Amino acid sequence: MLQLFKIEWLKIRSYRTFWILFAGFLVFFPVAFYLSAYKYMERVTDTKSMEENLLKMLLDSPFVFPKAWLASAWMGGLFFVLIGMLFILLITNEVQYRTHRQNIIDGWSRLDFLKAKFSLLIFFVAVSTLLIFIMGLVVGVVFSPSTAKMFDGVKYVGYFALMATLYLMLAFLIAILIKRTGLSIIIYFAIVCIVDNVLWLVFTLKESQVGYYMPLEAVDSLVPNPFKPKMLERRTVADYTLVIAAAAYIVAYAYIIVQYFRKTDLKT
Amino acid sequence: MAVLSIENLTKNYGPVKALNNVSFAVPPKTVFGILGPNGSGKTTLLGIVMDILKVSSGSYKWAGDDIPNELRRKIGTLLETPNFYHYLSGETNLRIAAKIKGRGEQDIPKVLQMVNLYERRRSKFNTYSLGMKQRLAIASTLLGNPDILVFDEPTNGLDPAGIAEIRELIKELNRQGKTIIMASHILDEVEKVCTHVAIIQKGVLKTVGSVSEVLNTSGANSSAAILIELSAANNDQLKNVLQQMPGLESITGTENGIEVVCPESITAEQVNKFCFDNGVVLGKLNVKRKSLETRFLEITGKQSDR
Repeated sequence: MLQLFKIEWLKIRSYRTFWILFAGFLVFFPVAFYLSAYKYMERVTDTKSMEENLLKMLLDSPFVFPKAWLASAWMGGLFFVLIGMLFILLITNEVQYRTHRQNIIDGWSRLDFLKAKFSLLIFFVAVSTLLIFIMGLVVGVVFSPSTAKMFDGVKYVGYFALMATLYLMLAFLIAILIKRTGLSIIIYFAIVCIVDNVLWLVFTLKESQVGYYMPLEAVDSLVPNPFKPKMLERRTVADYTLVIAAAAYIVAYAYIIVQYFRKTDLKT
Repeated sequence: MAVLSIENLTKNYGPVKALNNVSFAVPPKTVFGILGPNGSGKTTLLGIVMDILKVSSGSYKWAGDDIPNELRRKIGTLLETPNFYHYLSGETNLRIAAKIKGRGEQDIPKVLQMVNLYERRRSKFNTYSLGMKQRLAIASTLLGNPDILVFDEPTNGLDPAGIAEIRELIKELNRQGKTIIMASHILDEVEKVCTHVAIIQKGVLKTVGSVSEVLNTSGANSSAAILIELSAANNDQLKNVLQQMPGLESITGTENGIEVVCPESITAEQVNKFCFDNGVVLGKLNVKRKSLETRFLEITGKQSDR
């Protein structure tokens, strides 16, 4: 696997688009996260009025331990679509350049090709999860009055890793099936921004909890919007059932990808 | 033992049979040409044996008992078009290929020199001309000094000097004892380079054997093996005279004279004497063994769409 990753790295390390999108995530997320924390805390701590203090208590500041972890994971998730797009691009590029054929011709098995891309997926998830952890830690330490229970909410970093994995597996599946760069990215965004939310809405309007098990909503619900007041939360299903659902989706996507790619003609 | 044996290979694209029950074996240390018009199934055939296309039915087997993908590492293959990462240099592209093969990384400077790309090795692939891309693809096949090479239209996009160089390279590789499987629609190329040939048309194997066997095995309705080119001051008169000569298969007027196809029993002397005796003095008399082209057209018919 490491050997496969080294070859993938050789493919992308001097690819400008890779660095633009990857650096976009690595730079914009921390800067945006820290700045919003700074502005938010400045506004909250500067005010003396009763109403604002009440609001502050209600909101239970998202940038303070233990919620800082959730805030970092949630905001990281927003920026992570950049990585999803990048991952699609790196797969459809192979089809466009027909290098997926050449890799097989040169001696990879079809499974090797998928494993190599999966190693890249692990890399993206690992790097972004580490960044989410670091930013949660930094913002938490800077803005929390006390670090007593600082690691209470650290599970959200784990939920982020699960979310990132599922998002990239969906990107992987779309890229392998659709092959065309533009169309794949459009479909990916359509599912991420529209389809999944509409499905969730349809189910939750009927007072059903099924909506929370929709492909992406499962992980989205694990990392809820930290600015949303608790009283608006309607979810009653437990976290662990969502974790199981997300894992099931990951396995199902992997199964479809492997079955499809093993049997298909590699054409452009 | 055959380097590659193919049995009853069939490939369907929907209702279209790209390959229909094709069987043949590639003997070791030959230059094996797969000859056919555009769209006859050559690339499909090579795609299948390289595992990038899946068969509909039939089977193939490479010599050796290795698992297929490890076997492919020991074969140098150029399939259809050069497939490289456009944003990477020629050198980096070769490094990726060598790493996948698990061999040949130390060969990179050598193979780049062999195809005259060493000076441009650090340029990005998308700055290369068509011919340079093709030469990089050929360089890639040579990594790790493989015993088997598969070339699909190897001289595609090359200039005349480049074509000659690549043909010479293929012959040289064969002299070193390597087996070369080469698909081409260029008859001249196959005739100049190959020792064996399989002719396929519309996915059907028409004939297979050594080049001399294929040339000498005459068509069902013809025992002709010799082609004679003639011309005289008055070609119309020459044609009239030749039509009276017994034993000739066909007489065709061409731009520069007359072409006669006849059995090997007829000699140039006989033709010359017959013409002279009938009052025609020949300006040109050129005896050729029947070329692969004639044979190819006999086998596949003359319409390009067939």
